[in-house]
Amino acid sequence: MTITVKEEIIRRSPLRVLEKSISGGLGKGHVGVLASRKGVGKTACLVHIAADKLLQGQYVIHVSYASRVDHIVTWYEDIFKEIAKAPKMRSALDEFDDLIRRRVIMNFKQDGSRTEQVLRSLEAMIVHGNFRAETVIVDGLDFDQAGPEDLRKFREFAGRLGLEVWLSASLKKDEPLFDEQGSPYELKDFLGTIDVLISLQHHGDHVHFNLVQDHGRLAPKDLRLKLDPTTLLIAKEPRGRAL
Amino acid sequence: MTTDIARMRNIGISAHIDSGKTTLTERILFYCKKIHKIHEVKGKDGVGATMDSMELERERGITIASATTNVEWAGHSVNIIDTPGHVDFTIEVERSLRVLDSAILVLCSVGGVQSQTITVDRQLRRYKVPFIAFVNKADRVGANPIKVRDQISDKLGHRAVLMQLPIGLEGAFNGLVDLVAMKALYFDGLEGEIIRVEPVPGDLAAEAARRREELIDAASLFSDELMEAALEGRATEDMIRAAVRKGVLARELVPVFIGSAYRNKGIQPLLDAVVHYLPDPAEVENRAVDLAAGGAERVLSSDAGAKTVALAFKLEDGPYGQLTYIRVYQGSLRKGDELVNSRSGQKIKVGRLVRMHADTMVEIAEAGPGDIVALFGVECASGDTFCSPGLELAMTAIYVPEPVVSLAIEPVDKAAADRMAKALNRFTKEDPTFRTYVDPESNETIIQGMGELHLDVYVERMKREYRAEVRTGAPQVAYREAISQAVDFDYTHKKQTGGAGQYARIIGRLEPLAKGGFEFSNEVKGGRIPREFIPSCEKGFRAVLKKGQLIGFPVIGVKVIVNDGQYHPVDSSDNAFQTAAQGAFRQVYMKAKPQILEPIMKVSVEGPSEFAGNVFATISQRRGVIVSSVEDGTFSRVDAEVPLAEMFGYATVLRSLTQGKAEFTMEFQKYGRVPAQIAEMLAEQHLEAERQKSQR
Repeated sequence: MTITVKEEIIRRSPLRVLEKSISGGLGKGHVGVLASRKGVGKTACLVHIAADKLLQGQYVIHVSYASRVDHIVTWYEDIFKEIAKAPKMRSALDEFDDLIRRRVIMNFKQDGSRTEQVLRSLEAMIVHGNFRAETVIVDGLDFDQAGPEDLRKFREFAGRLGLEVWLSASLKKDEPLFDEQGSPYELKDFLGTIDVLISLQHHGDHVHFNLVQDHGRLAPKDLRLKLDPTTLLIAKEPRGRAL
Repeated sequence: MTTDIARMRNIGISAHIDSGKTTLTERILFYCKKIHKIHEVKGKDGVGATMDSMELERERGITIASATTNVEWAGHSVNIIDTPGHVDFTIEVERSLRVLDSAILVLCSVGGVQSQTITVDRQLRRYKVPFIAFVNKADRVGANPIKVRDQISDKLGHRAVLMQLPIGLEGAFNGLVDLVAMKALYFDGLEGEIIRVEPVPGDLAAEAARRREELIDAASLFSDELMEAALEGRATEDMIRAAVRKGVLARELVPVFIGSAYRNKGIQPLLDAVVHYLPDPAEVENRAVDLAAGGAERVLSSDAGAKTVALAFKLEDGPYGQLTYIRVYQGSLRKGDELVNSRSGQKIKVGRLVRMHADTMVEIAEAGPGDIVALFGVECASGDTFCSPGLELAMTAIYVPEPVVSLAIEPVDKAAADRMAKALNRFTKEDPTFRTYVDPESNETIIQGMGELHLDVYVERMKREYRAEVRTGAPQVAYREAISQAVDFDYTHKKQTGGAGQYARIIGRLEPLAKGGFEFSNEVKGGRIPREFIPSCEKGFRAVLKKGQLIGFPVIGVKVIVNDGQYHPVDSSDNAFQTAAQGAFRQVYMKAKPQILEPIMKVSVEGPSEFAGNVFATISQRRGVIVSSVEDGTFSRVDAEVPLAEMFGYATVLRSLTQGKAEFTMEFQKYGRVPAQIAEMLAEQHLEAERQKSQR
């Protein structure tokens, strides 16, 4: 019973819409980036992506550069609570325990940790810790400090260990943030090492998702997804409302 | 003796292992002229720090049982409790916190906020204990007290504010800038006993001014007077101190002091801070439960003339006989007073009354509210409350966790057996998390406690203090059993063997109870089971739950609903219904798909980042789940959940893998399901043991 409900939740997830738009998903060995101003909801999206992978039985590493990890733990709890609200999602607690066993949060200090060191620790977790991660979420890497070289290292790492890597990029420069194709000016130098680039923008009272780059091709497109302001989950945008 | 309650402080010194709190206590005693010579914790002089009075503590360089001591500073009477740092002994820490009014949280200038600091902070929070922070070891390589201040804010979520600035750091650490008085302090003399006050050094003037602004900003939140004065540039030292004090008492501000106990720097200003910023006993609200009024809460008054309420919080078998440490909350204690133990109803007469200083003591005639003293020859258990006749109050029960490890012990000979019994009797009275019983089947003596080290220490103490040599078995995990499915029962107990027969039938249901524990619900209608036999049913279920059929461990998380049954006017009895309940449970238990649960520990490993990979591997090999790993430059911490059964001997493994550079703490987190394969193995072992027993 539980299984089918879970499958139904996975099947109906708005993330399937996202996958369809990016040729079936990010895929192993690739790097995806969510870019926006601070406070728009990148972390929420990354946690939703991770939660979706966990539901599908995958192992996920969540890399964070924040000063503490307890709020990330809470974030996952909240998102699973939202998901467990689905009808018939029985024994939500049991499920949650099981999902959490497949997630590790790794926290690094922004100014003290170089990318090599971060990757070394990730590899130690996967290899020595026998943690069979397929997806790595990297939240809060400072793209100002880290150059395209760092991103290239993440990509090389993803390829070598067969990982899907999702990062968030905080845009900090003055307006305008995006060029006419919706590509952020700040990330111009990085485009060569990003497989999928998605930007998040406020439109009225909602946050909308725009695909900028899909597996190396510039492919500006409205993803018809929004961030639900109450649940902080990614949600489908009803047809006709999109811009 | 000081009697003015405003001039009294009861403080604890809480910290992470190795952050130097025993050394700090030692220095405090020295400056307060309680001792005449400073001893180091692992001293070459073979004396050891004064507070570590137990021989074993001296040998291991750790503090186990908290000794209490009284000092005088600036006309104030200060009671200090030295608390143990290892999590295995948290009951001691928690008990101290119940008894104290405030604390000094000691942190290391290099290590900063470590896992144990977080545990201690949580305890301070639970008991609402106001505290100040002391960042020790400013002379160490890598010392960064200001970073530690930031960590107190970021990691512990306190509003932490610097009260001092270090003058030089690491090897060059030689003094402090007092940000309230804006003076530089240097600690001269052979043992830092002479304080030389000088103007703030020029190169620190700008930073000192800036930090003082920060301090005044933070303190202004608690005083409008200071806020206004600061705006007009006329904030005085007294105003700042008064405002900081308010913030501390409200637990909304943590003033941070700096020093190096080992180098004799910064201790006297810390003592001044205890006097300035920490509460006197009258400023702390204490509550007791009124047993005569159905457990209603009563706020105690700090009036010396009121009826007496005091808590026995620690028993100790010292060279002078049995000592009972007691804290007076209300009223006074005088020699010859009569008091009643509110738990047992037993009356006692107050005999000799002493004030303790680690190993020596001073006899006193009277103790008032807030005082911590020791009594001689009082029979009681830790946690008992004593009241004047007519009062029936109990200080709210101190939270006692269930033991998770057990160990079979066997005395080597008859003489050892007697001494062992004596030792166990003492230890169980001293420490409620330490328990002992004789297994009726194997006839072995079993001791239970909070962890491997906890039990090790008691086995050692038996040897040293009681000369009771014992052999120990392998440590055993306290497993539990739980049902995972609801199941109906219908059971008849019938016996006809001449004489009076026995008859009872009960019908109902077992349901899993997610929150654990046991619930009994009576839904019998129409007197199908007479009312007087309902408690018999409950009693029968409770008895049978003590030993599950899977592996013989207690069954938890069961709700029993009895909704029907039958009785016989002559043959039904209390006994018959108890037996029926047990039979009903045994009959359907296996159908309820029972599972084996094991204690899962919250484990924190800290050490240099280079060993993180090794640590990940050790956790993964132990069926552990890594919850998070935090890397801060070269230092890293791994938090994980690991089954206790896999943690035996971990200390040794970790030490050898990391060249002794990593350490870990662990505490009980929850009960979790044992994986099927291991559950099968445990069940087989249990069957085998039962088979052997029956053959014997």
